[in-house]
Amino acid sequence: MKLLSIKTIRAVFLLLISVASLSVKAQSDPTGQSAVTRTFAITNATVVQAPGKEIKEATVVIKNGLIEAVGTNLTIPNNAQVIDGKGMYVYSAFIDGLAYTGSKRPENVARPNNLFSPDPPNDYAGITPENSVLAQIDISSSTIGNMRKEGFAISHTVPYGRMLPGSGALILLGDKSHADEIMLMNDVSMFTQFAGAPGAYPGNVLGIMAKWRNLYRNAENNKKHYDAYTENPSGIERPERDRVTEAFFPVVTKQRPVVFDVAGVLEVQRAMSLQKDLGFKLIVGNVQQAWDIAPMLKNNGTGVFLSLDMPDMPKEAKGKDLEAMTEETKQLEARKMEFWKKYASQAAVLSAAGVKFGFSSLDATGNKIKANLMTMIENGLNESDALAALTINAASLLGIDKIAGTVEKGKTANLMVSNAPFFTKDAQIRYMFVDGDKYDLEIKEKKEAGKGNASEGSAAGAAAVVGSWTYSFETPQGETTGKMIIKNEGGTLTGSMTSGDGSGDVDMQDVTFVNGVLTFSISRDGGGQSIELVISGTVTGKTYNAEVTVSAFNFSTPLTATKDDGQ
Amino acid sequence: MIKNATVLTVTKGTLTNTDVLVSGGKISRIGKGLNAPNGVQEIDATGKFLMPGIIDAHSHIALSAVNEGTSQVTSEVQMGDVIDPFDVSIYRALAGGVTSTHALHGSANVIGGESETLKLRYGSTNPEDLKFENAPRTIKFALGENPTRGGRSRGIQPSSRMGVEAMLRNSFTDAQAYRAKWNAYKADKNPRKIAPEYDLRMETLVDILEGRVLVHCHSYRADEIYMLMKVFADFGITKLTYQHANEAYKVAPELAEFGAMASVFADWWAYKLEVYYSTAYNATILTRNGVTTSINSDSGELIRHLFHEAAKTQKYGDLTDEEALSLITLNPAKQLGIENRVGSIEVGKDADLALFEGHPLSVYAIPVMTFVDGVKYFDRANDIKDQRIYVNPEQAVENVTIFNREDQHRCMDTEVVSFEALFSNNK
Amino acid sequence: MKGAMKRVFQLIIIAIMVPLLSFGQEDDQVMKARGGKFALTNAKIYTVTNGIIENGTLLINNGIIEAVGANVKIPADAEVIDCKGKEIYPGMIDSGTKLGLSEIESIAEANDFSESGDLTPQMQALSAVNPNSVSIPVTRVSGVTTVWTAPAGGVLPGTAATINLFGYTPDQMFAGSKGIIMNFPSSGGGGRFRRRSPEEQAKAVERALKTVNDAWDKAELYAKIEGSGDVRDYPEIEALVPVVKGSMALFIEVNAAKDILTALEWIKKRGYKNVVLTGVAEGWRVADKIAEAKVPVVAGPVQAIPTRDSDAYDAAYANPAIMHKAGVKVAIRTGDTENVRNLPYHAGFAAAYGMGKEEALKAITINAAQILGVSDQIGSIEVGKKANVFVSTGDPFETATKITNVFIDGYLIPMTSQQIRLYDEFLNRTPGVKKNDPAIQIKKK
Repeated sequence: MKLLSIKTIRAVFLLLISVASLSVKAQSDPTGQSAVTRTFAITNATVVQAPGKEIKEATVVIKNGLIEAVGTNLTIPNNAQVIDGKGMYVYSAFIDGLAYTGSKRPENVARPNNLFSPDPPNDYAGITPENSVLAQIDISSSTIGNMRKEGFAISHTVPYGRMLPGSGALILLGDKSHADEIMLMNDVSMFTQFAGAPGAYPGNVLGIMAKWRNLYRNAENNKKHYDAYTENPSGIERPERDRVTEAFFPVVTKQRPVVFDVAGVLEVQRAMSLQKDLGFKLIVGNVQQAWDIAPMLKNNGTGVFLSLDMPDMPKEAKGKDLEAMTEETKQLEARKMEFWKKYASQAAVLSAAGVKFGFSSLDATGNKIKANLMTMIENGLNESDALAALTINAASLLGIDKIAGTVEKGKTANLMVSNAPFFTKDAQIRYMFVDGDKYDLEIKEKKEAGKGNASEGSAAGAAAVVGSWTYSFETPQGETTGKMIIKNEGGTLTGSMTSGDGSGDVDMQDVTFVNGVLTFSISRDGGGQSIELVISGTVTGKTYNAEVTVSAFNFSTPLTATKDDGQ
Repeated sequence: MIKNATVLTVTKGTLTNTDVLVSGGKISRIGKGLNAPNGVQEIDATGKFLMPGIIDAHSHIALSAVNEGTSQVTSEVQMGDVIDPFDVSIYRALAGGVTSTHALHGSANVIGGESETLKLRYGSTNPEDLKFENAPRTIKFALGENPTRGGRSRGIQPSSRMGVEAMLRNSFTDAQAYRAKWNAYKADKNPRKIAPEYDLRMETLVDILEGRVLVHCHSYRADEIYMLMKVFADFGITKLTYQHANEAYKVAPELAEFGAMASVFADWWAYKLEVYYSTAYNATILTRNGVTTSINSDSGELIRHLFHEAAKTQKYGDLTDEEALSLITLNPAKQLGIENRVGSIEVGKDADLALFEGHPLSVYAIPVMTFVDGVKYFDRANDIKDQRIYVNPEQAVENVTIFNREDQHRCMDTEVVSFEALFSNNK
Repeated sequence: MKGAMKRVFQLIIIAIMVPLLSFGQEDDQVMKARGGKFALTNAKIYTVTNGIIENGTLLINNGIIEAVGANVKIPADAEVIDCKGKEIYPGMIDSGTKLGLSEIESIAEANDFSESGDLTPQMQALSAVNPNSVSIPVTRVSGVTTVWTAPAGGVLPGTAATINLFGYTPDQMFAGSKGIIMNFPSSGGGGRFRRRSPEEQAKAVERALKTVNDAWDKAELYAKIEGSGDVRDYPEIEALVPVVKGSMALFIEVNAAKDILTALEWIKKRGYKNVVLTGVAEGWRVADKIAEAKVPVVAGPVQAIPTRDSDAYDAAYANPAIMHKAGVKVAIRTGDTENVRNLPYHAGFAAAYGMGKEEALKAITINAAQILGVSDQIGSIEVGKKANVFVSTGDPFETATKITNVFIDGYLIPMTSQQIRLYDEFLNRTPGVKKNDPAIQIKKK
């Protein structure tokens, strides 16, 4: 990826202009949130310039969004805000290789009235590679701040969608008021995933693989056509404008990589076989089962963003429970632990195999990222490899290693300042610098026992969900509304959903409410067969923001509910 | 080396007290009193029966997806893209003496996707390891109730058997036009020529027209079986095997004349209207009329005792031992175009072998060892119960699923799961 | 002349109408069953309860087994069937099917084994049996003479019945016993929702059990107060009363090991005496407990996939044997509808994987009869029992064995079925590929 592309220069220019115009237009800020100066100096800290390269008692000077200087015995500029970094550790801020951070799920494409399922319109089928994630950026999304709190300053954010949602962009995780202000680089990737169209072609992985080949090969031919026509149109049929095929041109020339969301080991291999077939540059992201294919990834030169998600550790039985277990159960439990360890140690396996990888937060829950990293380190991942994956390797895979990934003069001022070496259990991030802007992070007090979000079964927690709610969600047939009634029966949550369309009540199954997340499933009749719908989301006060997922059709749609008055 | 077995070669009779030497994945010698070269493991098979590894010509195990059911013609999709090496059914099939399966697209579409012939090399995490290298290309077609139900539920063609024929003819005519366009392009000497639109679906249809792909067609009723032969005759397609073909016996003379083959159930019937007029004597009638016939399972359960299913032709029709065994060895090999590699025990063929306690055609037969390419993948004496390759650390240990025949029989799809119906207000 | 011609004509017709002994039929002759007196001679007779008679005779008279032994005097008016080289067995009994209640599985209109609503124990399978179902002849020519046909779906789907596979009305087919079917709340099949814990499963089972217990509490109350005058007419609950009183058996369908244990406890708590567990796919895991509780089981299908991905591949094959060895009385079922004819093969697999031929034979004859409550009438070859027997060319479990004669209720059954007729018509089709091949060409204008 060319660093000094027109687009980048333009982006940086716009940024500077907007900042400059700010300073000309509005000096007064009643919120008091604006910074006094854009020059900072962090003094007397341990600066981890790059994995394995630490400078003790060093200073970092930041000016106008760039790292001006790093070292010991530096002259600190007069206008600098000085931060005493004694006892602190300064790192290059983390880079998230694949995420939805800042992106908002768009409304589902309405189902055309006369849908011809073998040949649906491209937008219904989810084939919109020409779109940019920028259209979906929600600048007020809490995900931006949440990831920043975890130490991330740059996110490769991709759009929501189906097979080809669009291009991803690199965004800076700052607190701004307009999407343009956080855009570091647009159109950095073609994002794709094995998500079929709802009830139309391509419906599942079979159709998607074939559609991919068809789109790509036609794009190759079309590019030749375009190029020939551009060079000398005489005697050549005018090429039809086709946004989808044009979106493939930079992929065909290998200027833009394809980033595949592929969690399981089979899907990774399918993406790789597609790549071998067609020849594009491939990065696999959100990878969750890599331990058996590390050599293959290395040999194929495939870029990897390993998932920051980890399966829950199986509970080990103790004491009486352990004695009561049969031999068979012990063996089966042992296998579960064996595999949990494989998930935990796969990062180490990738390192050992020489695979250059970064991390992706796509399927991970924000507040578990640090814990999961610690687990990976406990299971063999070397700290400096972990840091490399979070910083310089990710930058390199995304083509921004000239401006990010290490604490070096001339690079963008993205820093994470922690009150202890980051990879220690109780270390906390004190400051984040994103694009040269400082963010103070609150130190979290140790949680008092019993406080915090309600856990399953506790009376106080259940009260948050028990009662009557009015819900609504979008289906291809339009909006469906009705009531959700949740009860607490002796510690177990149960419930039922009524539907405004006259169909009967449906029992909620497996209702759980943990850490503010309410999850349950229901069954609906899909032409004679029972289909499972899973609804999951967060409860904040009287609002429930959830998603309905029908995995049988790879379909999901948002659901919102509000608690009825008097509940 | 397998010593002192009763060897059921299928092509060259039954050899008693015979040794079979396996080397480099191939059967290298067959004879009495052979001397095993140094370092070669000897397996005492005294009192046991050795037969060629069983081949299931109709299976949906080891697949992550079965139907791309959103279009009625999907010749562009490939089952080779969705092989799932983790399916425990693979091991269970090995435990039933099966060494190869034909992993098919489902029967939702008139023209489905290309299928994949597999060797059951269980244990790998790489789907490529299961592919039967250099096996001929095959593709799945479907006639009758399954594709028409899909059309009826969406109000599109085909909704009747008439529409199925029309769709077949249209598709091949389109393919001929596509081929003509591309031939013209290739012949064009203009250096600035522009390529016509590339269409993977049409490419595969052209390959079928030119005989590069073996067609396997899910079908039941005699009239639709007959219809397909006429359509194929019109387009010059000759390589055809009917799958299920419960009523093929009614047009057995026509199949024999065309040269079509059949892969049938031993005795499944009555689950749909189009199989109501079946007979368990189907395989016998076809065989006696000169049609190369095999018996398949189309089920992760039935595949485990195909040897027993084949024996049913001795009850329903008096086929000889060799004829019955051919139904699950040499004949399916012919239908898949792999008979030069597998399907019988002959020197030079792949060492895909199944060892039984008791003659395989006896109900009391117990498969005890199964080899693929000379590698032992199943050994009853050393069987480990838990054969899962990957384990989900979050899943409860006691994860019970009660056996339901319909779940295993994917072609028995009697309900079309309709996305539209899911949210429809018309209940 | 006319008269003589007529007589010749008649003789010719009679000659054509002589019934053939082989399969199939000529032209449009219809083969019918015949009752009366029969002597099956020179056979190896497997009585099941009284050992094997090497060279014996079986006398059937008016539906009953009149005599069986090595030296039986054959009445003059008996139709003699020489069974030299062949074997005779009690008709096989499948203790779990939907035969007669479903003609074509995929067509809703053709299925009568499931009614709307969860609590419908009063629904009578027997009344809905189609005596003329095409599957019935297909089944009985393979030696299965009697089946238990049962409703399915919901919690208490209905009342099942034992039927003999010959008769022109359900009452003619009725073999003497009925039973209430109950589907025990199941903890299996967690689906894709990966967070479903064992605790959550247990809670779901508990909730479902409450519904079940409510119904049975009402039934017990009903049993106490019925006839007292102020009792609501409640057909669903009334249907359960015979179980409460012990005069009808309760068949509980339950498969997961945990559920079997819960069911056994439930049976103990409720104190019902005449209970059978059916399905018991994981019965082998808790065989000792089942034996302890002295509850008989109907296991099957034997040709089935193991219940857990981590189970041994032959778990279902070995299930009946393990339970039997622990002391459980086991009958084997196919659980099928149109392929009940495969019952001997389910038994054969059970035999091969640990049960042994003798026990497996019992599982589809006398054990089944006992469990279904009709062992006084069928299930073995004993004088005084109904003549439900078949003659075979050898071991009926062996796939290649042919069944040559079948008696149900003492009727010699025509060895024909739709499938056999199709075989006869199409083995050598007339015409073959060429329809007409005249020497003279058809004249065209």
